[in-house]
Amino acid sequence: MRKKILIVALFLLAALILSGCTGATAWPGLSAVNNVAYLAHTNVVYAVDVRTGAKLWSFTGEKGGFLNSNPSLFVTTPLLTEDGLLIVLDSGNKHIIYGVDTKDVSQDGIPNVAWKFSGICVSQSEACTAVKGHWVATPLIVGNRLFAPNSDGNVYVLDLQDGQSDKKAKTIELSKSADQTDQDRLWAQPVTDGERLYVTSLDHRLYAIDLQTNQEVWVEELSAAIPGSPVLGSDGMLYVGSLAKQLERFDPATGKHDAVLDTNGWIWGTPIVDGDNLYFSTVLNVGSTSEGFLYSYNTKDGRLNWDPIHLDGAITASPLLLGDRLIIATESGDVYSVGKDGAVDTWYHPAEKGKAYTTPIIAGDYVLVAYIESDYYLIALDSDGDVQWTFAGK
Amino acid sequence: MKNPSNQSQSQAQRPQLPQNFSTETIKTLAVIAILVLAFMNFSVVIDFMITVMIFIYRFVGESFGITIILFTILIRLATWPLNAQQMKGAKAMQDLQNDKEWIAAQKKYAKDREKLAQEQFRIQRERGINPLSSCLPTLIQFPILFALIPSITYAIGSYPLSLLKLSRSVFFQDVTTLVPLNSKFLWMDLGLPERTVILGIAIPVLALIVALTTYIQSKLTMPSSSPNPNDQAAATARIMSIQMPIMLFLFSLNYASGLSIYFITSNILSIVQYAMMGKVNWRNLLPGGQK
Repeated sequence: MRKKILIVALFLLAALILSGCTGATAWPGLSAVNNVAYLAHTNVVYAVDVRTGAKLWSFTGEKGGFLNSNPSLFVTTPLLTEDGLLIVLDSGNKHIIYGVDTKDVSQDGIPNVAWKFSGICVSQSEACTAVKGHWVATPLIVGNRLFAPNSDGNVYVLDLQDGQSDKKAKTIELSKSADQTDQDRLWAQPVTDGERLYVTSLDHRLYAIDLQTNQEVWVEELSAAIPGSPVLGSDGMLYVGSLAKQLERFDPATGKHDAVLDTNGWIWGTPIVDGDNLYFSTVLNVGSTSEGFLYSYNTKDGRLNWDPIHLDGAITASPLLLGDRLIIATESGDVYSVGKDGAVDTWYHPAEKGKAYTTPIIAGDYVLVAYIESDYYLIALDSDGDVQWTFAGK
Repeated sequence: MKNPSNQSQSQAQRPQLPQNFSTETIKTLAVIAILVLAFMNFSVVIDFMITVMIFIYRFVGESFGITIILFTILIRLATWPLNAQQMKGAKAMQDLQNDKEWIAAQKKYAKDREKLAQEQFRIQRERGINPLSSCLPTLIQFPILFALIPSITYAIGSYPLSLLKLSRSVFFQDVTTLVPLNSKFLWMDLGLPERTVILGIAIPVLALIVALTTYIQSKLTMPSSSPNPNDQAAATARIMSIQMPIMLFLFSLNYASGLSIYFITSNILSIVQYAMMGKVNWRNLLPGGQK
């Protein structure tokens, strides 16, 4: 009898373990302010001392479900407000935004939660309307307002000033397609030109929203999903890449748009602007593997500055501009340094396995690169690409 | 009419297996080989499943809910012979528990495990029963079951990495204009755990249906209680009929509802297959029906 129960238990255990073989579902979020790096990695948000790589504190969010079977998932970029609140989004099934007080950390290294948001509450007596989708997009802070796009197709506008965010929050319900079949999953951080908010959707659309009225000004549709953010070029135009393998240019005033460049693969990341030049990458799937390509496009003359540079592994991150060169992290784990003239140098090659999907950042004297499926979550590279420290989450 | 002498001749010419190396052993080795190959190339199994799902998704007009249901039916049809063999094997083992000689052997050699094992092996051989025949078909379905969960997770693409994995798991088709897949089905978003608000309370309706269908399926397919109090198979079946619904309920509470659709469809199809083979025990659903 015991043997049979053991077999049944082993079967169930094996099922659960193997069903977890899907691996990570999203890549980490990474930001840094004043020598503190904030890393949202799987189930934990870490604050790490940039000078030493030591953990300052960590945050795991609310426990959820039977035996915490519904844990938090932190993958969006944590944002620090001027008041020292760290905005952390639980991308799991609880759909909570936390305002974590970085100035109020217990001796056990757990920060206090100043407020949290999981839906709109009009009044004390009325039931709250819950947020229905995953948080995948990094929100945007504009003044005292937090604009948080959600996978349920809404942009939630939170008042950061007094922490009563759920009472004062507003919902910007974006228009749907005529057949109402899509969900307008919003995965990318919005951008603003000071007057309008520009929001991309996985359901092929770009929205312009008036910042004063929170009303939709225009909406335009592309032929494929847009996983990255738009960017404002030096010419005042909006540029956005899509899975349609095209770089699209939009007039921010009217939404009129045209494809300015055909590429060889899906554009995942947000292009970065350097004067008249845009830098962005593509992912070209070859069978069950992916290759990455770096593009440099001149918005003034509408031409590529050099032929797309082939790099090892898919590139979902945006390049990082570091002086006169670009730092690019790839799925292979390699970090490349590419000069503005197109000269490529393998800046860092990991000794261990690891995948880098997140855009590297500059923090203090170092460049930080986040990894998944690796023995370490974060590494600090100096200006020569040498590792100064690694952070393994412990 | 066959000539007996010719028949014996052809038998004599048939290559003989080494002693103690039966066809069942070969089957066992084949199953183990398939399992090892499947687990070594797990990603290939996942890619294949996703490719089939995307094909179905296009075919049915881009409804991922219907895709999961049709895909489950396809999997069930593909594994039909294996399930049938498992049912036969399980029935034979169940019948053996009520065999007088079997019960007598258990009593006689209760204190001599080695002798009991020898005697049980002898009886099984005499009755033509292979104890592995009921579990080997189940084992071969493991890679399918384990690959299904990531396949559905990738295809739904609730997070960026899932979408990236989906993009390179699909062969012979361009998914550029397809993604994101339409995960709306009935009242649900298949990428999220389902909750239905009734009178202000969020109720996990789908998880409850998963638990209910799992319970009904295990009850209906459970053999009637044997008179043998030492019937371990029946005891295990009883434990499973409680354990599995609870496990799947908890699983469905927190995972994408697309997986719950798979569980429900699979349970219903399992009942249908048992019914078609005349092995459904409807009385088990009634209170005291097992007595």
